[in-house]
Amino acid sequence: MYESFSAAAQPLMEKLSGLFESYPILATYYTTVARWIFVALALFILIRSILSLLRSKNPSEIWAYLALPDGNNRPLRHWENVLGRAKSADVHIDIMTVSRNHGTLCRDASGNWRYNDLGSTGGSEVNGKPVTGSTRVKPGDTITMGGADCVLVPASVREKEENLRVRKTFTTRFAPWSCLVALTIFQIMACIQFIAAKGADFPAPVLFGFMIFTVIMWTTCIVLRAMGSTAFEMETIVFFLCTLNLCVVATASPERIMTQLIAIVAGIILFFGLCWYLRDLDRGLKIRRLLVILGALLLLVNLAFGHNEFGAANWISIPGLGTFQPSELVKIAFIFIGSATLDELYQKKNLTLFIAFSIFCLGCLAVMGDFGTAAIFFVTFVIISFLRSGEFSKLVLIGAVSVVGILLMIRFQPYIATRFTTCFHAWDDPDNLGYQQTRAMSAGSSGGLFGMGGGNGWFHEVGASDKDLVFSILSEEWGLVIAVLAVLSIVTLGVFAVRSIMAGRSSFYTIAACAATSLFIFQTTLNVLGSLNILPFTGVTFPFVSNGGTSMMASWGLLAFLKAADTRQDASIAVRKENTLEEGGMS
Amino acid sequence: MKKLERRAILCLCLAAVLIIGLGLFVYLQFRDGGDWAAYPANKHIYKDGHLATGSIYDVNGTLLLENTKDGPKYNSDYSKRVATLHAVGDNEGNIATGANTAFGDKLVGYNFINGVYSTNEKGRSLYLTIDSDICEVASEAMGDHDGTIGVYNYETGEIICMVSKPDYDPQDPPQVEEGDDSGIYMNKLISATIVPGSTFKLVTSAAAIDTIEDIDSFSYTCTGVKQYATADVDKVSCPYAHGTVDFEGALAKSCNCAFAELSEMIGQATMEEYAKKSGLTSQYKINGIKTAKGSAEFPESGVNLAWASIGQYHDLVNPAAMMIYAGAIANGGKAAQPRLIDSVKFSNGWPASIPWEPKTDELIGRSTANTLSRLMKNNVEVSYGGESNFPGLDLYAKSGTAQLGGDQEPHSWFTGFIKNEGSPYAFVVVVEHGGWGSETAGSIANEVLQAVVNR
Repeated sequence: MYESFSAAAQPLMEKLSGLFESYPILATYYTTVARWIFVALALFILIRSILSLLRSKNPSEIWAYLALPDGNNRPLRHWENVLGRAKSADVHIDIMTVSRNHGTLCRDASGNWRYNDLGSTGGSEVNGKPVTGSTRVKPGDTITMGGADCVLVPASVREKEENLRVRKTFTTRFAPWSCLVALTIFQIMACIQFIAAKGADFPAPVLFGFMIFTVIMWTTCIVLRAMGSTAFEMETIVFFLCTLNLCVVATASPERIMTQLIAIVAGIILFFGLCWYLRDLDRGLKIRRLLVILGALLLLVNLAFGHNEFGAANWISIPGLGTFQPSELVKIAFIFIGSATLDELYQKKNLTLFIAFSIFCLGCLAVMGDFGTAAIFFVTFVIISFLRSGEFSKLVLIGAVSVVGILLMIRFQPYIATRFTTCFHAWDDPDNLGYQQTRAMSAGSSGGLFGMGGGNGWFHEVGASDKDLVFSILSEEWGLVIAVLAVLSIVTLGVFAVRSIMAGRSSFYTIAACAATSLFIFQTTLNVLGSLNILPFTGVTFPFVSNGGTSMMASWGLLAFLKAADTRQDASIAVRKENTLEEGGMS
Repeated sequence: MKKLERRAILCLCLAAVLIIGLGLFVYLQFRDGGDWAAYPANKHIYKDGHLATGSIYDVNGTLLLENTKDGPKYNSDYSKRVATLHAVGDNEGNIATGANTAFGDKLVGYNFINGVYSTNEKGRSLYLTIDSDICEVASEAMGDHDGTIGVYNYETGEIICMVSKPDYDPQDPPQVEEGDDSGIYMNKLISATIVPGSTFKLVTSAAAIDTIEDIDSFSYTCTGVKQYATADVDKVSCPYAHGTVDFEGALAKSCNCAFAELSEMIGQATMEEYAKKSGLTSQYKINGIKTAKGSAEFPESGVNLAWASIGQYHDLVNPAAMMIYAGAIANGGKAAQPRLIDSVKFSNGWPASIPWEPKTDELIGRSTANTLSRLMKNNVEVSYGGESNFPGLDLYAKSGTAQLGGDQEPHSWFTGFIKNEGSPYAFVVVVEHGGWGSETAGSIANEVLQAVVNR
């Protein structure tokens, strides 16, 4: 089928390349005009999505009330709430006998509430029975904390309606169609641009690859819309990044276009799968142990069979399927394992498992010599630890340990030391230590703000440029504006995730979204600033944009965590709909 | 949950780091992008490491070098090629300060917005301020001597003559052996630092005029030697006994002993201050090309303070900096910053640059400059042969004979300016191992300046 489709694209391509060949001036003028249009389209797509993301609010919802002894009703705004005397508690109870963090009151997806004591001084009772473990609480039940009686009061039907109404009004519907049309124009024009630049040498399968991607993009959005989804900002942004990815592949290694396309499809499937899986908190929690084992196995397999490419032995070849990077997929497991519900946050053994797994991952990566990915895991680990414990002193301690770690690394791996010394000094030794960075900057600056035109670059000839130095390929061929927009896309995803957790239901989703976001942002930072002489060059990929199948799949997988935190009405397929009032055990 | 929400700020901090880093990079590209793009590894504009686009012309519109995909095309006249070699540069990138290398970004038409993108791939036309005819005269006047000649308009900053030797024909570049120290690839006007000899007395004189009271009644009797300590080396000497000289006579006769006396009166701190102020130890930028930085070191007192004040000891001066100092004296204290680019034009002749003529800092006080001008005029009339050696020139100058120690012939300097109608030019001539300053360098300067006023 592939051959026949590819053959179908051939005549179109020949016609176009023939036209450009007979009128070479046409190709020049096409590029001259198109380079401005590309930037305009990119700006349109991203500004629309970014504004929509930033404008929309995740409304805070009220799931039930807690009647306090003083007669006040306190709203429970999350699925997981800490009750206690501390100002920072979700339900602040100002009674001396109540401990600072006395207990947790959590709701599950089906609407059942459970209370658990956090080892308080005064102890807790539900309907007069002492609480020893997680205890079911029904509406009207009395929770006694340090002698203070509180009653769980259900949210009235009116309030549920209010919840729904608020969610709906806050959710500015984002119709993706105009952005998709703009993206499609971008893709078609990019294909013409490549033919204008490369003439008949441009491989027809690439053209075909772009067509398939356009179809995938539309199908995904139409299916989502049909399923009732109203928010497409994240998807639009990521489709834009994937389009840039195809442009990079088309210029750097056109023969890989189909592999990359398959990776995108696999990524989207993984994304939907994870979104569906994350709808149910219990499911997410149950799978963790399995993931620990799977992740550890993947890394061990990597250690045993991995081969060296670009300086790190983090690649595995599978006969007939090509190479893949297990460490990319372990990122997903890592976040699953690091995230925890509020109840778990107060249990030590959970953290121990996470720390053990982190140390194992870091150790494996160090043995492989993949210090870039190790740095990403480490930073994610720090972020998750901080989110879980909130102790600033711990953060400082981790920082100190990491400095020692880096010093040791430099001591035993002299080539890393040279990377640190090259940073900011690439132009002192432009043809040796600073080889990649100086070429990246030279080619990148050549493009100016609008680029030399797709297919008109030379930088892809530099080794690993389509992976680790991809910012400069974008900058060279598509211009600094589009390259910067690609980075801002990642930042936007991050800012949005942080905003949406303000109305977070479970700390599991919150931690996962924050960790995935931090991972995206830190990875982008290392990739972009490392290739540009501002940070040491580590050789990590740019999420969604770098050429590489596993990296693409992992990026889509991580996106599911962000999507799961989006609680706007009908915004996310990762969030189960709450608009049927009869649902749950409360009514 | 509340706590968790607050902790999420950490993610935003990470995002801020990324944004700040990216902002820094965009700023750096804005500032240095031209240099990055002009790096010879850039295949958009270099072919096999050779610049493949852009043309260089002199101020009269004479084509000096055209970069093409098939290699460089130089001017067809051999002597023009050689005379403008160091200003224009080569296609190999050996002459780092040559226009073809240093202004690569302008030749390819780089700008922040468009990068090096060009619809016709023709690059830009770069018009230099140099006059290739004058350069030719200068190059021929220099003959087989090594050294450098610079002439520039101290009112507008245009460098009209810039010659450095040894030179070669860029169309037929010689094999230069590794370790060669003749400076064949160096534009000595911009990149050399040379012992200044007595030309440095212009700085000491400025300090004397400003800080010694009743300098007009200064008098010194030169016996040919001024002994500091008993050892034979601890002395300052003149070629012969100048007899009794006043300040004006001391400068005209370039009496080392008298200036040794003056340096003692001025003192270390003031000498340091004036050396710094003169700009002779500063770095200038000529359209972004950095000049070499001179140096001068003044001991507290004694024989070495004296030598340092008469341009020996550890003194090193860049010829262009000396030329600018002469220009500042001519121009009442501040000179125009020298520049080498007259204009940049698109291949269709439309202007692609904005003219800009910045001034230097005040290198010398206005009234001091005027006094010094008078003294330099006196030098020409009393010591350099006046009208008979420099016919038709309204010349103000100071010679220098830089002793190098051992048996080496001294370097010969001649610097100053002319105030002929319509020709406000300052100049510097350095002839390496040229012998007596006013004779060798002076006569070369005359030949060049005659061509300048008769342009």
